[in-house]
Amino acid sequence: MKPEPSTFHSRPDGRRRIERATTWIFRAATYLVLLAGGAVLLTIAVKGSRTLFQSEAPFINWSFLTEAPESLYIFEWEGRTLEMGDREFRAFKERNPAAANVEAESYVYSAGGIFPAIAGTLLLVLGSMTIALAVGVSAAVYLNEYARDGRGIRFIRLAILNLAGVPSIVFGLFGFGLFVIFLGWNVSLLAGWFTLAFMVLPVVITASEEALKAVPLGFREGSLALGATKWQTIRRNVLPYALPGILTSSVLGIARVAGETAPIMFTAAYVVRDQLPWQVERLGDFFFQGVMALPYHIYVVSSKIPQNAHTERVQYGTALVFLLLVATIAGTSILLRQHLRKRHSW
Amino acid sequence: MVIADPPLMDSSAPELAGTPPPPAPAERSVVAQIEHLDFFYGTTQALKDVTLDLESRKVTAFIGPSGCGKSTLLRCLNRMNDLIEGARVAGGTVRIHGTNIYDRTVDVIEVRKRVGMVFQKSNPFPKSIYENITYGLRLHGRRDKSRLDAIVEQALRGAALWDEVKDRLHQSGLGLSGGQQQRLCIARAIAVEPEIILMDEPCSALDPVATAKIEELIQELRARFTIVIVTHNMQQAARVSDRTAFFYLGSLVEYADTRDIFTNPAKPQTEAYVSGRFG
Amino acid sequence: MIPPTVAAPPRFTVSRRRLRLLGLTADDGIRWFFGGNALIAVIVLTLITLFLFREGAGFFGQNRSNLEIYRRAGLEYVDFIRAQTDDHTALTRYLSDLRVRWMTWLLEQERHSLEEANARLEDFDRFADRFAGAVDPLRELMSGLADHASGIKAKYQLTQDRRVEQAQLAAAGRTAEAAGIEISAIDFERELEPLRESLPTYRQLSRDLAGELTALLAEAPAPPTPALRQRMDRFAELTREYVAGFPAVEHRLETWDSAQPVPAHRAFTSFLFGRQWLTASSWQDWYGIVPLFVGSLLVAALALLLAVPLGVGAAIYVSQLASSREQRLIKPCIEFISAIPSVVLGFFGIVILGETLRQLSQVSWLSWLPGFPYSERLNILTAGSLLALVAVPTIFTLAEDALNNVPRGFKEASLALGASQLQTVLKIIVPASLSGIVSAVLLGFGRVIGETMIVLLCAGNRIEIPDFTRGVAVVTEPVHTMTGIIAQEMGEVVRDSIHYRALFMVGLVLFLLALVINYAAQKIMRRYRLSTG
Repeated sequence: MKPEPSTFHSRPDGRRRIERATTWIFRAATYLVLLAGGAVLLTIAVKGSRTLFQSEAPFINWSFLTEAPESLYIFEWEGRTLEMGDREFRAFKERNPAAANVEAESYVYSAGGIFPAIAGTLLLVLGSMTIALAVGVSAAVYLNEYARDGRGIRFIRLAILNLAGVPSIVFGLFGFGLFVIFLGWNVSLLAGWFTLAFMVLPVVITASEEALKAVPLGFREGSLALGATKWQTIRRNVLPYALPGILTSSVLGIARVAGETAPIMFTAAYVVRDQLPWQVERLGDFFFQGVMALPYHIYVVSSKIPQNAHTERVQYGTALVFLLLVATIAGTSILLRQHLRKRHSW
Repeated sequence: MVIADPPLMDSSAPELAGTPPPPAPAERSVVAQIEHLDFFYGTTQALKDVTLDLESRKVTAFIGPSGCGKSTLLRCLNRMNDLIEGARVAGGTVRIHGTNIYDRTVDVIEVRKRVGMVFQKSNPFPKSIYENITYGLRLHGRRDKSRLDAIVEQALRGAALWDEVKDRLHQSGLGLSGGQQQRLCIARAIAVEPEIILMDEPCSALDPVATAKIEELIQELRARFTIVIVTHNMQQAARVSDRTAFFYLGSLVEYADTRDIFTNPAKPQTEAYVSGRFG
Repeated sequence: MIPPTVAAPPRFTVSRRRLRLLGLTADDGIRWFFGGNALIAVIVLTLITLFLFREGAGFFGQNRSNLEIYRRAGLEYVDFIRAQTDDHTALTRYLSDLRVRWMTWLLEQERHSLEEANARLEDFDRFADRFAGAVDPLRELMSGLADHASGIKAKYQLTQDRRVEQAQLAAAGRTAEAAGIEISAIDFERELEPLRESLPTYRQLSRDLAGELTALLAEAPAPPTPALRQRMDRFAELTREYVAGFPAVEHRLETWDSAQPVPAHRAFTSFLFGRQWLTASSWQDWYGIVPLFVGSLLVAALALLLAVPLGVGAAIYVSQLASSREQRLIKPCIEFISAIPSVVLGFFGIVILGETLRQLSQVSWLSWLPGFPYSERLNILTAGSLLALVAVPTIFTLAEDALNNVPRGFKEASLALGASQLQTVLKIIVPASLSGIVSAVLLGFGRVIGETMIVLLCAGNRIEIPDFTRGVAVVTEPVHTMTGIIAQEMGEVVRDSIHYRALFMVGLVLFLLALVINYAAQKIMRRYRLSTG
């Protein structure tokens, strides 16, 4: 017995099947992307954690985080294969004069840690974001609070949009041409700061403008109607409320500054540097020194040394530390935003 | 009847300390004079040759259908229109105590200190009640704590809000109800002791009870301030104002004592509007 | 009654004096300060243009003298003959390819043992050897001339170096020392005489070669299968074409004039259309951007081919089909992917993906795929796949925005007419946001073409135009890119050298390309706003 077809009987099966299949194709595309991203992150996390963590207390391999890179020496000694960092190897040879001429395979940067690179990256991020935020927020304040639409403003906006599309390597070339050569700053923190700052400027400006737009007009009108000047209004009644938004969106910029290699390759980064950034004789030298940086270090260890079991340690370890650092920066900023949100809500 | 409660004006006014009964026409003292004002937004003319005097310590209501220019005129009085792109005064003057506030030598900041404003949508700052009130004073350099405390109390009492908020002065102004927020805004405005207070449909977002409180407050404030109120609600205009100006399509149609406007309008358009036939 | 209370209205002091500096109040100053900061975007853009030009512009002058000395020292002359011998080498390679095929046929179809097969190919080998050897006299002549031309060039460069030294000394005020430097002018005409004198020898050798090749073709061994025979015929045809080209070479040598100036535009066209990027060569440096441009384009095209369906598909799914819980989960994840630094992706490509893909290509049941199996683990495929992961978040975010911006009314109207969810999405929402999606794709393209680290690490860095005759299989070839070459060579070049300037020119091309892409994306986006606004 067939049931009476209702007025709202379902559509033909075939069409429904096609529809469901199509939806599944879209779903598959989405999850394929997530899968690919996940695969990259997971591989690095798993392999890198062997470097970064250890099974006994304190569980974190502090020496990797706090030491400078060294060459790794691998040699046969009394029937055993030994692996030693540069300093240890020299000490070993002093203790065992017989080992003076032992034949050792060596791999640069494969022993020790990556502390100078971490420090360098943090300094680069700190400096360039300070510059970018100062300039970017000011520019956004002008565009959103002062400027009236006109040809000049449209031109500025066009410039910002176009600046956002300039490849990072071109920023690197530009920084090299202007700061390193023309201004004679050489390969230095300062050159790197400005190059990176200009690179993220469009991100910061756009983000700040969005945040400023989100502050209700009533705050401005109310303040102006009480006889506040424009600047008083902005400083007391607009900027404080836009700040959380500005900081949040700047996360995007921070991640980019920390992650980019191309702009610092010829402006700020050294392949290896023995001194730490604060080991300078005069304060002025601080700004004019090149630094090691994590992304550049990854580039160096992944392209300039062979891949094998001995070098893997530092390669994956550096990549994981770098990923964690980027994630931490983003996380801190998000927490900061929530804290500020709690204080100001409207 | 259109006039809902005419005795309110007369009965409440004498109660206010030292406020004289409505003065005779000859004794009117003028605070602000608007003369032949033409105003444009870009190429659209929003005000056409408006001439009107505001009298001291009176409540003046601007009424008229949407887009008639009443809010524009209100915002001309403290130059809030400066903020709008493309807005400009094309002709005429706005004088306050004889000074044309659109004169080039005039500092717009000073104008706004003397001409306070309350907005349609209550806009307390996301700060504490105390900070909201002292905001304007601090801007102008008042730092003396005990003096500020006194002014806060005075302003809040003046806005009939003191009793409701005196225990939570340091909580956010955003925690108040809609009507309280609007009274906070009024308190904020009177704390800087302006001469004129402009109110742009201050009750349009409030329920009837809150509206009644604000109207009551306006009656009290009349003793100390010159008040200009824009309203859509004709009963409200009739209840609270001494003088009423009716605008239509950017022109001032009629300006007279409120009682006359509502009972005996001179122009047929006014009559049509107040009797609810259009608008 | 009133007058007593308001008799003396407070003076309305609306014109209070403010502190002015240079005619500006503090507020004006603040305004100008902010305005100045806003201008920085314009200034930076201008400076980028300016410095790329400043450092790059000298390239054309230097490239012209580079080309000039190429001609005047006779390198160009030698290269005419070299082209001839190179063509011969190509033919020889064709022959050896034929031998491999023949051999395969003998071993696999005829089941001969290796010795047998080699024996069967003896005739062919003799033929091939004679063919290959025929060009030797000509090649010998060429290499002798090449040495001579190199000598002239070296001499010239020496005098140039001395000139520079002299100028430096003179500038430093050490005139006596400067005058002491001996600079002998080079008489190019005289130096080139050996080259000119070699012409009769060349004629003779060339004619001998033509005769020998023609004779050889007549006794070419006939392969056993039709397919191989066809190749042999093709070889004969190519050889005849090659021989027929000899008089043209001869003509070129006869009419070659070392004194003829290199036209100015050649410095430009040899950069923009030059098919060789060859630096630090002992013979002659070439700065042609084509191989780099093609490399960049190929990698970006592959990346987009992968990223567009994934990115747009994911955007459609997340914005229209997914549940809100899925949305909340997926969006941050994809945004997080965009935060993965590109150097980490490049590292992943080197250590994992390149090798994985290569091993995948060796799997026998996948060998039907074009280009499989391959042996270079770093190639267009590896770089393109990783770049796709960079492009997807960009395309996803922008396309999702565009999809979300379609007015609700469109969707509701369609659903109310009884269209299914998917029909509504595909027939109403996607078309309505198409220009937004297109501009998202364009911006994704801009993103990948400008990406440096991934291509530097994973594209293989071989500076050559890949072999397009292989069809789709071209993706398994290594290439070099515009961004990669800058990153790789910038650190090593001598400042102000022609190579240094050439890299800035590449940067300028990249910059202009990025501007054009950006401009196009904005234009399209704006049109889209009009169409739905």
